[in-house]
Amino acid sequence: MADIYSIVTSQKLSYEQKVVALAHAAEDTLSVLPMPERTKFYFAQGVICNLNEGNAPYRPRYIMPDYQKAVKDGVKFLELAPPQDFDELLTFLQVLYRHVPSITTYPVFLGDLDKLIEPFIVGLSDSEVKRKLRNFLIYLDRTITDSFCHANLGPEATRAGRLIMEVDCELAQAVPNLTLKYDPSITPDAFAEQAIYTSLCVANPAICNDPLNAKTYDRYGISSCYNILPIGGGSYTLTRIVLPRLAAMTNDKKEFLETLLPEAMLCMADYMSARIRFIVEKSGFFESHFLVKEGFVSRERFVAMFGLVGLAEAANHFAPEGKKYGSDAEADDIAEQIMDAITEFVNQYECPYCDIANHHLLLHAQVGIDTDYGITSGIRIPVGDEPESIYDHLRHSSRFHRYIPTGCSDILPFDITGKQNPAAVLDIIKGAFSLGQKYIAFYASDSDLVRITGYLVKRSEIEKWNKGETVLQNTTQLGAPTYASAHLANRKVRGV
Amino acid sequence: MTAPVRKIISQSTVDGPGNRTAIFLQGCNIRCSYCHNPETQAMEDAEASERTVPEVVEEIRKSIPFIRGITVSGGECMLRAEWLKELFTAVRHLSDETGHFLTCLIDSNGTVPFSSHRPLMDVCDGVMLDVKAWDSVIYQRLTQSANNRIVKDNLTWLLQEDKLTEVRIVCVPEMVDVEVILNNIAQIYGFIGKSAPIKLIRFRPHGVIGALSAYPVTSEEAMNHYISIAESLHLPVRKG
Repeated sequence: MADIYSIVTSQKLSYEQKVVALAHAAEDTLSVLPMPERTKFYFAQGVICNLNEGNAPYRPRYIMPDYQKAVKDGVKFLELAPPQDFDELLTFLQVLYRHVPSITTYPVFLGDLDKLIEPFIVGLSDSEVKRKLRNFLIYLDRTITDSFCHANLGPEATRAGRLIMEVDCELAQAVPNLTLKYDPSITPDAFAEQAIYTSLCVANPAICNDPLNAKTYDRYGISSCYNILPIGGGSYTLTRIVLPRLAAMTNDKKEFLETLLPEAMLCMADYMSARIRFIVEKSGFFESHFLVKEGFVSRERFVAMFGLVGLAEAANHFAPEGKKYGSDAEADDIAEQIMDAITEFVNQYECPYCDIANHHLLLHAQVGIDTDYGITSGIRIPVGDEPESIYDHLRHSSRFHRYIPTGCSDILPFDITGKQNPAAVLDIIKGAFSLGQKYIAFYASDSDLVRITGYLVKRSEIEKWNKGETVLQNTTQLGAPTYASAHLANRKVRGV
Repeated sequence: MTAPVRKIISQSTVDGPGNRTAIFLQGCNIRCSYCHNPETQAMEDAEASERTVPEVVEEIRKSIPFIRGITVSGGECMLRAEWLKELFTAVRHLSDETGHFLTCLIDSNGTVPFSSHRPLMDVCDGVMLDVKAWDSVIYQRLTQSANNRIVKDNLTWLLQEDKLTEVRIVCVPEMVDVEVILNNIAQIYGFIGKSAPIKLIRFRPHGVIGALSAYPVTSEEAMNHYISIAESLHLPVRKG
């Protein structure tokens, strides 16, 4: 109750942030999920972490509506007819986004925005489209006050895509995140170079390896912190295993791989299965929500994300003294053994209601949270340990990205001279993608917008928050401590 | 055969199109007063090391598949034309072996006639040519070199042979006859019926130890003036 009182009386939380925090507090008074002793133990040790998903889930964590279908059919529950022109489309989307639930209470996926818009701008001038887009994007940034929100572009070059990027460049906003699905055989260099130039101005869009990620499901989208999920579905849950905390329980690699890791993974998988069952069987979401009833999402298209974090520190824990993940084969080989063990587990574990994933949990390189100290995002190389050569860095990523179907990425700050030669950055991306690297985000070293672990925050907003002022974006509250604790200002700047 | 290699930059974005590995050779035959890497001028230097082609190829291999090619610069790399031919031939083999195609570019002051190096030009994808001045007196003052007739011949010959990747002009008001250069290039482009990109480089004194070391950075207005002249001549121009 003390917690609730402090939420109610906080001067640092905005009104909306208080409402969300109070809903969380209310949910957590329930205890509806089975919690066996060993599971409880691993939770208490911080080895298993449910990322504050709440104790009684009443909606899937990430929802990826089929917006194309909604635009075509209209939405009966919201009394929205199919839009007939550009203005109607933008209003339609604004209303629909407002009603898409998620763990953050805001929509985490806004659709393939360029494809949604393209048919509606025929006959309109560039300046007219940009004026309307500007208002639309400002509306999104100021009302979706949480940057775990993502719109997709590409892989085809479109006029809509080009104009979205031009407006994004002017506005420099944290919401929405943009990702360009990039396929070198489809996306023209000029379009990809515009994306890179835009990214070096405003840290958006990130670039996704389309041919590789497209193999994951029939139709995929990128949501939240670069989650690769099926469109028309989403993910019930994202729970994570914090590998360094588990590794700290032993110095014996064999015991770790053969006893501790399998036990902790089983506890976590069972816990995830219980969450899924509660959402599907008890919460009423799939019986009552209009997105399901009108066919914009279906239960069969939901997966569950088995997150892992801190592979680097876990590998380093068992590596010979001084050998480090990212630069030494000894540590990298141990990391590979850990990944093999995790992969083997998820491939044999059967979970309920995950039809599109063949009834398996899917691995996700979880990016970390604000209270992680000395734990590096997913499978990334720790800040400060990056190889001298960006080529070696990306080769290393490729080696480990192949394990992760539902999202993994690298974030690279680039020297500002990159703006003068986006083609050079594109060459590097092409090379990395050809080796199996799946997703890359970058920003210019002088940018106000900075990518924390996957989401964007303004450095100027972090300063305001640190001074105790109220800020609009929820994610600034997460980003401020993470920017400091994960030493993100010290990320190796890559010269181009 | 070896050549004195001053340094290799595995990732360069300023030595030609896209991302490239750049190889800098030691030794230059002219002395530009605005030279940005005067340490590479002397024909010999303790900082440079004699390297064979296979050694350099192994360095280049480490950059695959992240680069679209290599650029050899200097000093003046055309003073080592035979070594260059051997290197470019080896890089073609490397492309075949890895399946990752690499282009080979030369960055040159244009004082060595390319037309007398046919076998090299057969394995070279293009040249980035410095046109430092058009008037020979200005050229002599700037470079302490006899004259620029060969540079002009090279410009025409490379254009005809489709080997001119880029023309570079360092813009220093009053010291370089930028407008005259642009006018003459426009005439040559028109006469031959082909063109190549022109990069106007803003002079900056940083790193310069020659006569222009105390000269000011070329102003934004001056650069825009040169650009507008180039555009009025319909030249494909960009600022560098």
